Formats: sequence, C-alpha cells, structure tokens
Amino acid sequence: MLKLGGTDLEFRNWPADREKLIARVSDQPHRVRPLREGEAYLVKGETPPPGFRCYLAIRSHADLLAGLSDDEMQVVLPDEYDYLADGDVVRLIPGQNRIRVIYRRRSRHNSFLTTERCNNYCLMCSQPPREIDDSWIVDEILETIPLMDPATAEIGLTGGEPTLLGADFFRILKMLAAYLPRTAIHILSNGRQFADPDFAQRYAEVGHSDMMVGIPIYSDVSTVHDYVVQADGAFDETIQGILNLKRLRQRVEVRVVVHKQTYQRLPQLAEFLARNLTFVDHIALMGLEITGFTKPNRRDLWIDPADYQSELYQAATLLAGHRMHVSIYNHQLCLLDPRLMPLAKKSISDWKNEYMPECADCREMNSCGGFFSSAKLRYSDHIKPFL
Amino acid sequence: MSKFRPLTAYEEPLRDGYQLLPFRFTRLDDNDYVVTNQAGEFLVIDRSTLSDLVRHELPSTGLAYNDLKSKHVLTDADSSVATELLALKVRTKLRRLADFTSLHLFVVSLRCEHSCPYCQVSRQSDDKLAFDMTPETADKALELVFRSPSPALKIEFQGGEPLLNFPLIRHVVLKAETLNQVAGRDLQFVIATNLALLDDEVLDFCRAHDVLLSTSLDGPPDLHNLNRPRPGGDSYERTVRGIHRARGVLGRDRVSALMTTTQASLPRAREIIDEYIRQGFDGIFLRALSPYGFAIKTKSFTAYDMEKWLGFYFDGLDYILEMNKAGHFFAEHYATTILTKMLTPFDTGYVDLMSPAGIGIAAVVYNYDGNVYASDEGRMLAEMGDTTFRLGNVHNDQYEDIFLSDNLLQPLEESFASSAPMCSDCAFEPWCGADPVFHYATQGDFVGRKPESAFCTRHMAIVRRLITMMRDDENARDIFLRWVNP
Amino acid sequence: MAFSVEVFSLDTLKKAAYRMSDVAVIDIAPSGENIICTMKFRQPLSAEDVDQAVSTFKLEVLDQDLRASIGTETDAMRNAILALAFSKSGLSG
Repeated sequence: MLKLGGTDLEFRNWPADREKLIARVSDQPHRVRPLREGEAYLVKGETPPPGFRCYLAIRSHADLLAGLSDDEMQVVLPDEYDYLADGDVVRLIPGQNRIRVIYRRRSRHNSFLTTERCNNYCLMCSQPPREIDDSWIVDEILETIPLMDPATAEIGLTGGEPTLLGADFFRILKMLAAYLPRTAIHILSNGRQFADPDFAQRYAEVGHSDMMVGIPIYSDVSTVHDYVVQADGAFDETIQGILNLKRLRQRVEVRVVVHKQTYQRLPQLAEFLARNLTFVDHIALMGLEITGFTKPNRRDLWIDPADYQSELYQAATLLAGHRMHVSIYNHQLCLLDPRLMPLAKKSISDWKNEYMPECADCREMNSCGGFFSSAKLRYSDHIKPFL
Repeated sequence: MSKFRPLTAYEEPLRDGYQLLPFRFTRLDDNDYVVTNQAGEFLVIDRSTLSDLVRHELPSTGLAYNDLKSKHVLTDADSSVATELLALKVRTKLRRLADFTSLHLFVVSLRCEHSCPYCQVSRQSDDKLAFDMTPETADKALELVFRSPSPALKIEFQGGEPLLNFPLIRHVVLKAETLNQVAGRDLQFVIATNLALLDDEVLDFCRAHDVLLSTSLDGPPDLHNLNRPRPGGDSYERTVRGIHRARGVLGRDRVSALMTTTQASLPRAREIIDEYIRQGFDGIFLRALSPYGFAIKTKSFTAYDMEKWLGFYFDGLDYILEMNKAGHFFAEHYATTILTKMLTPFDTGYVDLMSPAGIGIAAVVYNYDGNVYASDEGRMLAEMGDTTFRLGNVHNDQYEDIFLSDNLLQPLEESFASSAPMCSDCAFEPWCGADPVFHYATQGDFVGRKPESAFCTRHMAIVRRLITMMRDDENARDIFLRWVNP
Repeated sequence: MAFSVEVFSLDTLKKAAYRMSDVAVIDIAPSGENIICTMKFRQPLSAEDVDQAVSTFKLEVLDQDLRASIGTETDAMRNAILALAFSKSGLSG
C-alpha cells in the first residue's frame, strides 16, 4: 500500500503567508528554466539545480539539501515517499506539514476525488458521504489538470457523487477535454443525475471523445437495489440515467459489487441487463472492499467469495453468452471457478493492493490482483497458492 | 449503525399491491404454463401461481413475485420504469421492419437436369429462350432491388438450376456492384445450386465477387439420390465433390447446405445429421415437410404426417443436444431461429417466421419472366396455376405498384398474427410468424384456422419442447445460447 | 355442458370452442341463466378420449376466462406501450 498523503513532513524556509502550493515534480537537472519557477525539484543525488519553486528530498537524502541557500523553500519527506517521480503532481500545505500526492505519472490508477457529498448511502460505501462544502476540491483539480502529462492513459473521477457538482462537473470535464484529449476519462457515478435529460445533454456536449460512466446496479428488483444504496427511487433514476446516456450514444459501464445482499439474484440481474440494457459497453462484477461502511455492515454484507461461485459463474457466462463485455474485478484468482479466469482482470489500484501470507509461493501472483489492503480485516478462508 | 434502514423499509410501496402488465399465457404441460411479456420474454410458472397472479393474490414475499416483476409481467408502486423498458424492447424487436426488403431472389432459369419429385417448378428443357431470365429483365429487377431502403441487400440466385444460366448471374453481380458504388449498401450474393455443374470459371468468379454457395444435401447417398434423381443417378457424389471443391476455393464457411425432408427422410434423422457432420457442416436445418405437393391434391396435412415429422425432428434435436453436451458444437437452425427470438432482445431476418409476414416486406422473388412474387412458395403456386401471390411484372409495373399491390397488402393484413383468432392470445406469438401462403395453400385463406394448421401444430410443439428442455436440463440453455451467439 | 352466465361470458366460451375446433364443433346456446355447450366430435372417439376432450374444453374455458381478466386490466397499457415503441422521440434506434 502506498502512502499518498500525510502530515509528517518538515517544511523549511516557507513564508508564513504561503498557504498551499500545487506543483509538478521534476527530477530533471536540465529542466528548461522558464518551467522551473512553478515546479518542485526532487533532489536525489546531485547538486540541486537553481531556479525551482521549492526542493523536495526524502529523509535519507535530506543532507543533499544542505547546499541550498536559506531563501529556498524545502520539504523533507518520510522515506515512504521514495516512489515520487518526475511528472507527478503534489499539493503541499506548510501550515499543516502536509503533502498529498494528487497525480502519479507512471501509475495506471490516477483518479480525482471530486467531492465527498453523495445522494446515495450504500451499505458498502468505501468513501462514506460527508455533507460538507468541499467545493475547494474543484479549484484544485482545475489547477492540477494543466500540469498532467498529456500522454496519461486514463484518469478517474470519483467521490461521493461527482455529478452533484453540477456546473463544476462540466467545468472539470471541459478542462480535461482541453488539456487531456487523449486521456480516457472514467467517471464513477450512481447515474441518477443523468435522469435529467438536460444534464445528460450537457454531458454529451462536453466534446471529449473517450469518456465512460461506470454506474452500479445491484439488483433486477427495485426494492433490493434501493435497499443496498439506501435511497428510495434510486433504481428508477439510475435506469433512466443510463437510458438517457445511451440515447446520446455515451459509453456506459454497469458495475455490480457482489456481496451477501446481491449474490443470490446475480443470474437474474445478468438476464435483466442482457434483455433491458443490452447496449451497455461493459459490465464489471466486483469483489467487496472491507472499508468505509462495509465495516459496520459486515454481518449483512460479508460472504466468502468461494461460496458464491455458482451464481457468479451463471451470471458471467450468461452475459458473455449474449456477447456482452464482462470482467471480474477484485477477486483473487484462487477463489474463482477456473472457467471464469479468462474474465478476471487485475483491477485493484496499485496504491492499495497487497498479498497475504498464504500467497507466498503462488505462481500466479503477477496475474492476480491480490487483495485490498483493507482485506486484512476479513478475507476468504479458501486462499491457496497456485503451485 | 442505526442510520441504515432495513430491506423492509424499502418494501413499503408494495403494500399497495401490484398491477398486471400486458402478458399472455399458454399451457406448457399438465402442471406448468408459459407466460410471455409484451417483448417476448418468458417464464414458466404453475397454474396456481398464474391464477394467484391474475387475481392479485400473489404475495410479494413469494419466490415468483420478484421474477415476474423483473420480467415485466407485473409492476408495483416502487418502480415506474417498466413501461419505458418494455417499449424499448418492443422497438428493438421490430427494428428490422423499417429496413424493409433485404432478400431478393432472382429465378435465373427454370431449366434443371435433376427431376426431384418434390420440385414444383423445374423444366427438363434446353429451351433457353423460353425459360431463362434475360439481361433486360434482370436490369429491371435490379432497379427495384435498389429501391428498397434496406442497408443490407442479399441477392440470391434460384431456379431450376441457376448455373445453367451462369452468364446472367455474372451480369447481375457486376451490374449490382456498379449500382452499389453509388448506393453504398452491404451487398451479398448467394447461388442456390445443386453443384453438379460447378467448374473453375464459376468458382473463380464466386471467389472474386465473394459469392456464397448454398446447396441441397438431403442425407446419406441412398436417401439423397432417391430424393434427387438426375441422369447418371449421381447427385450425391456430385454434390459432395462440389462442396469440398467449392470450400477449397471460396473458404470453409462460404458453402452451406439445406435439406428437403420427404417421407423417406422421416425415420433417418440421425443418419442425416451424421452425413452433415461427415461433410464438415456445423449445423443443419431440419426442415418441415413441404405441403405444396400434397396440399394442392389433398388440401391438408394429416395428423399422422405431423406426428411422424415431430418424431423425426425431436429425435434429431435430442441427438444434436447430446453431441453438444459431449463437447462438439453443432446447431439446429430452425430451433436457433426460434431461440433467437426467445432468448435475445433481437429478431432474426428469417422470412418464414415473421409477423407481419415476411412476404414482400422482407423478401421478394423476381421470376425468369419478369413476374414478381411475394415469396418462393407464391411462385410455386403460380406454376401450378394459382397467381394469388403475383405482385406484378418488372417490365410493366413500378416499384409502388408492386409493393403496394393488393395481392401483397391483403395477405399481410389478414394474416397479422396479433389480430388473428387464437394467435392473439397465444404466449408463443412473439416467437412465431404469419404464413399466409401456407395457410392459403392448405386451408384456402390467408389466416387459416389455427387449431387445424400444421404450421401452428408444428411450431407450438417445437416451442414447448425447447422450453421443457430449458426447464429440465441446466445445460440446455447454455448450449442454446451458443447456437444463438456462435 | 352448462356454464353459468354469472361466471362466464359468451366471448370466453366462443374462444374456448374455437380452440377445440380441430377435435369438435361446439354448439353454443344461451338458456336462461346458463349457456349450454354441446360438443359434436368430428371423428368417432373412445369414451376415454371423449372425457379427455371435455376436460380440455373446461380447462380451456377457465383459461379464456383468466385471459379476459388480464385483457380488461392491461389492454390500455398494451396500446400505450406500442404507441411509445413506435414514437419517433426518445427511444434509441
């Protein structure tokens, strides 16, 4: 698990009125001069070149900062941040000794948490909603986008519920369209806002050619879906949202988290998707993450994945049999019905994935996504290495 | 956490009861019924469940409730998307209608050197003038072909034996390709031939223009040659030689085969299937006995004939299913057509199983003499003296005269299954078709009395069997899905 | 057979009779509070087959009666869905 943020930094020579800095990280000693003014130089083993906004070093390399003068802004980071690299973007808050790594150029799992507000309240929410004014996040995202590498393969927009940002949601998308036209945008949303045809229309007019909305549906039965997301009327709005997006030829992925409340009717849900939402672009059947609300609701949610392989197999093969694109995410390979292996994708974000002691000699470790770091709390009794 | 509400909190609207959505039911067997919604999706339920459902006494906590709700047979106050989803599904099923005529059959010659007893049309003759289509006729027909709005156009050459007039086939293909440079359709050509006259010239042309071949293979040698006599008695040998030769030049999946079922075929389903496997096919169309020879003489099928045919068909189907379970992919094409309608959101373009009927609006026939017919069977009736299904002539009539002809519109309207007695109530109607030509030939009117219709008896028996198989055998549905989406 | 007018409509009986028409021609005659249905078989049948046909007809009448209820409740909706299916606006192609 990577540490992406913390408050155990040492800031040196930062002026008192400097509240926050969002900067691109550079480790290129010959970085063109005009760009150095806005960037943070990562000192690793040579004399720090002049002209950068500030200088970063991990504790083991802190001595390399000695050569800098007293008016150069410096930050000493714990060694856990040794993964930082050229092209990354960080947010530094000297008053809190805080860093947040907002973007990592080499990672395939960059995403922006756009807001913590949400109009669902899922039993297994991994990012429990907070009803606060976090609109400052939008400004930060808008500031970060121009600093990102245009060759970035994919960026995610998550939350909370990103569409609750209203006009700001479109501001972010338009900025992505302007600065990162070749970067695939993957938006995680409950889809309900798109039930408003005008909202869906504005989305379709953003002008970025590679966007996809990932929308969860947890049951073919409205009451069960509404129960899982803890919101009356959510099922209808979500379905309407998907229909509106599809009318406008927008790409939609349906996501299903498989747990105790959703596994029994998984084959019926698959049939429902195949007959009613046959035009969706992808379906992701996902394992449960034991974080956020899952912890207090564990008794109602936890089921050993080994115990629902029959339903998972039926659902996945039915969808595949209808020529729909289906993937299985967040499941350890040793738990899957072997016939489902070709559908399993390595999906856990690189900063939160790990392996268990049982995995030590497993030859499939590279193909297997492993576990969420939070899985230490509870994971299957049936983990076995492939030998 | 107390801020999470239980499932029961979300089930409150269900206390107001439920409403029925439009659905139909038909008996499956002594215990069960098949229920279909307006989009042709189905469930199997028993009679007491059905009765409770209709009387609004079905408990929302029972096993059936959620399945019926999910399949849009009932709806309740908790959700209101059912209507829109149903409308979308109905629209998807009917999408092909807007494309209109996609299959255009050109009867390029009536001449044929075979003398198959079941054939109604061929002439044993060398008189090309009398029985071959002329380039002028073909050109007129092609004008009509491209008047169709369909984005995909399939031109199929029929006869007699079409290769006896190969120069005309060449003419039509080249002319159609030229016209298509402007029209920009997805153009496909097929020649329905007995392959006896296949030569390098024909094969090279077919390869150059991506022409598919469709031939007749009735079964093992003795059966095939019995059904399909020709001078030398070697139809089977020529057919098989032709299949392999054509495959070698055109490609494995560019040659298909159809069988004609006769009385002699009926005890030999498995042998016929084995023959298809032997010749490298991955499927077979176990066709019905043609009524046209009988009908004109006897006016009906006997129940005995139908029973024997169903025995033949089900024996074949069982055999094929066993094969699939053992790991060998092999499909039965008629079942596949029905299963596509039952299991997928889409419809097929199969002309004989459409309502409104496929005559004219899905397929049309241009005869060697320029006469235009609503279907191939309609052409056969004309050869026997009945011109009910003649729509006009390419030399005299415009597109509108032909496709708005009363000879077309009347059977279409009268045979429309949703309005027909018994069909309008039938749960299987979404998977069935109107066949006005069949009913006209066997009963004398476009609708027919369905209780006496061999078409109806056959189709209902097959549907019941397919549903029973899926209900009782957990592998059956997976296998069927593979046939439908290979 | 007698069917009470209170319970079954004429339409229901006619439809059921139609479905049996390959086996028997059924006369339908109202008579006071009842409707009398008389089966005239098209071929001679054994006693067993006659019983079977009568049961089939009665079951068919019950089924048709159910269909009538469904129709009353859902015919308007069926037309509305068809209208929506054919409408130009809204639904995707």
